[in-house]
Amino acid sequence: MMHEIINLRDFGARFVLGYAGKSLTAFVLVLACSLAQAAELKLYAAASLTDALTELSTQYQKSHPQLAIKKSFAGSATLAKQIENGAAADIFISADKDWADYLQTRGLLRNDSRKKLLANDLVLIAPVDSDVKVSLDAEFDFAHSFNGRLCTGDTASVPVGKYAKQSLIHYGWWSAVESRLVGTEDVRTALAFVERAECSLGIVYKTDAQLSRKVKIVATFPANSHAAIEYPGALTKNAGAEAAAYWSFLQSDEARAVFARYGFSPIN
Amino acid sequence: MLTDSEWQALALSAQVGLCATLLCLLPGIACGWLLARRQFFAKPALEALLYLPMVLPPTVPGYLLLVTFGSQGAIGQWLKHHFNIEFVFNWKGAVLASAIIAFPLMVQAAKLAVQMIDRRLEHAASSLGSSPFKVWRTVTLPLMLPGILIGAIMVFSRALGEFGATITFVGNVAGETRTLPLAIYSASHQIDGDAAALRLIAISLTFAFLALLLSNILSRRAEKWLGVQRA
Amino acid sequence: MLDIDIRFQRGDFSLQLCTCLNQPITGILGASGSGKSTLLALLSGLLKPQYGHIVLDKKILFSAEQKIFIPPHKRHIGLVFQDGQLLPHLSVRDNLLYGYRNLLPQQRQFSLEAVVDLLEIGQLLARKPGTLSGGEKQRVALGRAVLYSPSLLLLDEPLSALDERLKYQILPFFLRIKTEFKIPMVYVTHSPREVEFLTDSWLTVSEGRLLASEKPS
Repeated sequence: MMHEIINLRDFGARFVLGYAGKSLTAFVLVLACSLAQAAELKLYAAASLTDALTELSTQYQKSHPQLAIKKSFAGSATLAKQIENGAAADIFISADKDWADYLQTRGLLRNDSRKKLLANDLVLIAPVDSDVKVSLDAEFDFAHSFNGRLCTGDTASVPVGKYAKQSLIHYGWWSAVESRLVGTEDVRTALAFVERAECSLGIVYKTDAQLSRKVKIVATFPANSHAAIEYPGALTKNAGAEAAAYWSFLQSDEARAVFARYGFSPIN
Repeated sequence: MLTDSEWQALALSAQVGLCATLLCLLPGIACGWLLARRQFFAKPALEALLYLPMVLPPTVPGYLLLVTFGSQGAIGQWLKHHFNIEFVFNWKGAVLASAIIAFPLMVQAAKLAVQMIDRRLEHAASSLGSSPFKVWRTVTLPLMLPGILIGAIMVFSRALGEFGATITFVGNVAGETRTLPLAIYSASHQIDGDAAALRLIAISLTFAFLALLLSNILSRRAEKWLGVQRA
Repeated sequence: MLDIDIRFQRGDFSLQLCTCLNQPITGILGASGSGKSTLLALLSGLLKPQYGHIVLDKKILFSAEQKIFIPPHKRHIGLVFQDGQLLPHLSVRDNLLYGYRNLLPQQRQFSLEAVVDLLEIGQLLARKPGTLSGGEKQRVALGRAVLYSPSLLLLDEPLSALDERLKYQILPFFLRIKTEFKIPMVYVTHSPREVEFLTDSWLTVSEGRLLASEKPS
């Protein structure tokens, strides 16, 4: 038994020295080439921007074939925590002011680059075959107008949930529906629960609602019922020239047209 | 020391963990016994299937549960219609999700427990006039108990830690499906939630440590009970 | 009286036996692998022969022709194995009474007190098997089998785990069982000396076949 183990080790050592040595050299060569060839930038953006930013990145890469844009879409809270803990992001676009402030006070953003990029609307949605009717009025008995659950982002941490809570409080509906609320980790999960009809109502951004054919917009919350829904973005401390150029592109008229097509309101 | 919602998460975790353990117990013993003692055509396939939840990303069983046991899923609709049981956004769903994820641990422990039993003890019992069922009840089962106990503690600990399948299947609803791991997740995503997250993490560590400690002590006791000499 | 005429085949091994045992104690001698343990498994019902019959005191335990196979728990044959096989989770007392409790009161031929006295195990009753010595374990195993009031006792190398000195302390207990309780015994061993001590009647098994029933040299 011992004998076999020693032989195996011997074999292993030869293998590593012989083959792995060669492949390591090859790997280093490939790595060096790729570094020389393509610059890379990492874009961290709120989940609701997934589709618009994917299209814009593809468009941008046509004129910048050397640039690799790595995109990470998640809840703004998740992204902010990752950047705080050392994720090598170059651009951060949050779905609310709080998480941009959170990183800014920690000195992780380049203050001069921070811009309010986009605005969005908050809507109440239902599965497409639902017959729920809601009128946005403090007199309206919202809690009894639907069965089952109301779904939105987590009201303590996810931006869309925070706005939803503000609007529900604005109409005096909050305490009656709080126990029926399902908080999700990001807006897309909330949308998916309504698409699947696991929740009979949901509160999401207008842009997300427009993307899905399985849901319909029941009502749009007026801007005075919640804090302004703005998408602040900024370069991070380790952003390079490529990232700065791409960030400018996202503020260009060309990009604004694309954002508008997805239902966002670009901010000047 | 803890806020109400943190206590709520702790109590809910204990409840979900206990129920998941109870749910796993009998099927786990049956499957473990089957795998240890019976030879049949589909056995390798069955064994692979039973251990699948252990190697899959938990979001996969979570998603499949949502599709089948959700209010629009075939089984979910049937259960709702006939028994008025709902799983999605409900603590029962959290039990189901964590039971499925932890089930392989019970099967594994029960299988090992059966394999450790000297079959000649069962032969001796049957030669003394005990029917196969009585042999199982008076010899096999008692000798399996230490293994079953350890399996149950492993299932309980795993169920306490279940995150992926739970959040995918039943969401993160405070007081209903927000168990410790989900509460940690929520707290760590709040701007001023770090302190709460750390408190909950400390509780999780304590829980997990105590469970493993208990399993160790119990297995020593059980060995003593069975008269095993230990160095 | 035990009437055996069986053929059994498993893999490369085959066993073929035809004999009639009618002595109070019959020794079965054979080296390991000779098939003597297989024979005991066939008699106790843990294995099933392909052909033939086994009849114990006119009761058919197995008959291929009549498609009769009595399962082990209904054969009423006591077994004592090499290492006792006491149930580790039960006390000595509960081990002794394990088979006894499976009997109806009128089937019980011996009392716990009588067996405990005869085997001198009274001081062990409250202990767990894990704390017993090898010789104590074998006496408890023997007592447990006897309390089941079996119509036949099968002893499978009951002393081979014990050292020589201890063997000769235990062997007289088997003779006591014979004279006091009158249970017929089949004693399987590879040791001619143990057989000589107990009986004049034995068979020798080799490669699954019966050799001449002569006194071993």
